[in-house]
Amino acid sequence: MKLKEFYRLLLFIILVPALSSCFQVIEELTLHNDGTGEVILTINLSQSKTKVQSVMLLDSINGYKVPSKQKIQQELNEAVAYLRKSEGISNVKSTSDFNNYIATISFSFKDVSNINNITKNILAQQKIKAPNTSSYNFNKTTKLFSRKYQPVGTAKTEYNKLKSKDKAVFNGATYTSIYRFESPVTNSSNPASNVSKSGKAVMLKSSILDLINGKINVSNQIQLSK
Amino acid sequence: MKKILIAISFFLTFKGAIAQDLVKKIPSNAFTVATIKGDNLFKLMFVKDFDESFLGKKFLTGASKSLDKNFNSIEDFGINLDKSMYYFNQLNDSITYHHFLIPIKDANKFDELIKSKETRFTKKGDVRTYILPDSSGILMWNNTMLCGVNGSIKSSFFADSAKSAKYGIKDIRYQNNYDEAAVAVDSTAVATYPDTTYSEDVTYPVAPPKVKKKIAPKKGKKKVAAKPKAAAKKTVKKKKQYTPPPIADVEAVDAVDVVDMPTTTDAAVEAVAAPADDAYDEYQQARAEQEGKKKKLALEWILIHADQILSTEYPSIEKNKSYTESLDNAAIASLWVSSLQDVYGSVAPEFGTYGKANIMKGYGSLNAKLFMDKSSFRISTGLELAKEQAEAYKKIMNKKINKNFLKYVNSEKAIGFMGYSIDTKAYLEEFPKFMKQAYGSFLGSNMEQEIEIGSDLFSLILDEEAVSKVVKGDALFVINGLNSKEVTYTSYDYDEDYNRKEVTKTKKETLPDFLFMFSSEDTRLFNKLINYGINKKLVSVDQNIYKIAAKQSPIDIYLMIKDGIVFFGNSLTEIQSISNNSYRTNISKAHKNLLAKNNFSFLFNAKNLVGKVPDEEIGGKETAAKFNETLGKMGNIYMKSNPIKGNIVSADISAEIPNGHENALKYLFSLIENAAK
Repeated sequence: MKLKEFYRLLLFIILVPALSSCFQVIEELTLHNDGTGEVILTINLSQSKTKVQSVMLLDSINGYKVPSKQKIQQELNEAVAYLRKSEGISNVKSTSDFNNYIATISFSFKDVSNINNITKNILAQQKIKAPNTSSYNFNKTTKLFSRKYQPVGTAKTEYNKLKSKDKAVFNGATYTSIYRFESPVTNSSNPASNVSKSGKAVMLKSSILDLINGKINVSNQIQLSK
Repeated sequence: MKKILIAISFFLTFKGAIAQDLVKKIPSNAFTVATIKGDNLFKLMFVKDFDESFLGKKFLTGASKSLDKNFNSIEDFGINLDKSMYYFNQLNDSITYHHFLIPIKDANKFDELIKSKETRFTKKGDVRTYILPDSSGILMWNNTMLCGVNGSIKSSFFADSAKSAKYGIKDIRYQNNYDEAAVAVDSTAVATYPDTTYSEDVTYPVAPPKVKKKIAPKKGKKKVAAKPKAAAKKTVKKKKQYTPPPIADVEAVDAVDVVDMPTTTDAAVEAVAAPADDAYDEYQQARAEQEGKKKKLALEWILIHADQILSTEYPSIEKNKSYTESLDNAAIASLWVSSLQDVYGSVAPEFGTYGKANIMKGYGSLNAKLFMDKSSFRISTGLELAKEQAEAYKKIMNKKINKNFLKYVNSEKAIGFMGYSIDTKAYLEEFPKFMKQAYGSFLGSNMEQEIEIGSDLFSLILDEEAVSKVVKGDALFVINGLNSKEVTYTSYDYDEDYNRKEVTKTKKETLPDFLFMFSSEDTRLFNKLINYGINKKLVSVDQNIYKIAAKQSPIDIYLMIKDGIVFFGNSLTEIQSISNNSYRTNISKAHKNLLAKNNFSFLFNAKNLVGKVPDEEIGGKETAAKFNETLGKMGNIYMKSNPIKGNIVSADISAEIPNGHENALKYLFSLIENAAK
């Protein structure tokens, strides 16, 4: 056995058995009164970096192929390239930090509805079937921002199909959405959301598991002052 | 008085008849024999206890439901649970038979078990026969035993046209009979039906082996020819002598109408008029007909074969020394395979060219036994080696682990360890011989000289003596406990306006402390490697402890060479204490014996892991509680190789059961019950 292989095996024995990990998915959306805005999507695996580092040294884990850094970077680049071609989307940037395992994608949009098909199309590009259950809308006249989200039934079914050690990956994972506006918020319909002190931002934090299981719905109707 | 004597003798004879073990019914040329010893099994758990157990109830309810009967006990099946049950198979060039032999206690009860609205069996004398609905096998039983036989005809047998013609069976191949026609009509049709679709049963270049093959012929052993060459006319009537499976003399197939298949020319002519689809359908139909004939033929053979097992006498497996020597009365279950070399030989043709390498050459019978007692489960395995092979293994295994290793095991904390020792010099000397033996035939018979040169070159290039000084051949990997370390990570805080601020947080991570060591008499090479690493800034040094600076590695690895031992570990404290001789030795006698007395040993002590991993690292409180509960219920798990005895190498795997359980079987039942809840 080569030393490298031995080293890999060693790490596998020592580190992998407890594979519960914490990761954060953060969606930040800034909406201007004219309907334009910016989005920053962040995925942060820093809290589990020891495990991610170990997993990255392996070829596959629990039967799943572990993508290489190059592969991850390539996928990210593909997503950026796609966004650049998308209607109403500009200023697309991405960052990747393989020391802390944090990746971001940011872009500007002409109208919030430009985002609606993006996620679905990116997933389709990656050959992941996902129904379009999420949409954004902003009515400039009524100043009503709405985020519609329909829990994906298949997500729960697929999750339940996973082995318990694979399910553990989602334990401790969180999803945070922050919407920032130029005008003060007069009402935020989702009881799980909080309005900031300045009244111009709305935050909703949820565990990914609750999202998968449909225990929490991130749909929201935010009324801005006219 | 006379009457009493007669009665006693009658009772004894009767008892003797019942007590006859079914092993007598296993022919001496059986390839694989598996045994479940009912008496040993039901000593650990009475029938009543089984019936009342969770698993027993589930089994009885399931059986009652599926057979539309009412079973209250497994005794209701009419099976003699105090006797051994067997599985064995026989291979030959035409058919593989799989058999089950089950002792019957109450044939009437068993009759009832089989009888239902849909199923009926025939009875001739006291022999009952039931043919499975799909005709793939049969059950045949009398008042003392049940014999279940299933047979699968080897496709390669009927690929030989002379043999298949004898039974009125044609070897239908699309390529031969239809392919040309299809090509002639429309080339696109060929694309629709690629060759691979119907060539599945024609790729058997080498005929399956015959059972007669053995590594070393055993004295006084009567071989029963498995090849069906007995020519005497036989019928399904009882015979006094065992006869080999009747393949060459079954005439019943004559009754089956042989369908005239179109020849290649006919097919071509037809195909000109008909599309390739029709030719393919025709091929499928013809093939199905031939398959039906084969199945019918197999059933004929199976019926005769089962009758012979039930009604005739023949040399049994008890005459096979390898089999009898593998037995252990205390085992609950056992498995014996006549020869690994032959097993490989029988599957090797499937591997094509690669199958020619007889990597199992020199490996004889294999046996595995399962033991359960008050304190543990144990699986004991043994492998018979050819004399030369055994001698080589003896030389390689003539080495004990470095006693100084034992100082670095802390039995109170150790979660597990694995130790092994081989004689590197002997291994390197024997290695070319193993390679020659395994791959010699693969390279071809005229390559012997080249192989010889290769072996000599290997020995010449490698100075076995010198290598064995660098790596002596013994090593120990031990996990002495868990350690927490603080790690930093990036997270986000949000101000009152939910603006994101990147912050660095810290958390504790629990990692096992591992220590790996191996003996080396000549450490010059390692010293050079370390110096190279230092020059390349891959290794940093602090006194005599070296830190490997692998950027990608999530853990730090330290290296040290001391007293002819090379140490690797991720705990600096542990390495330092070894360096300054302050390591607290705390090895138990059992662990010492396990490591010192065997060439290979492994231990996993789950109890030392209970509660040591923080809940959040296992995925929350609930998961952690389950995890700890499971670990707490586990006893030690050991693995060890035993010293080579005669020409048998053997190894044991055992798992201790926790306190509070009567025996391993009942513990197993409780585990299944818990898992099912």
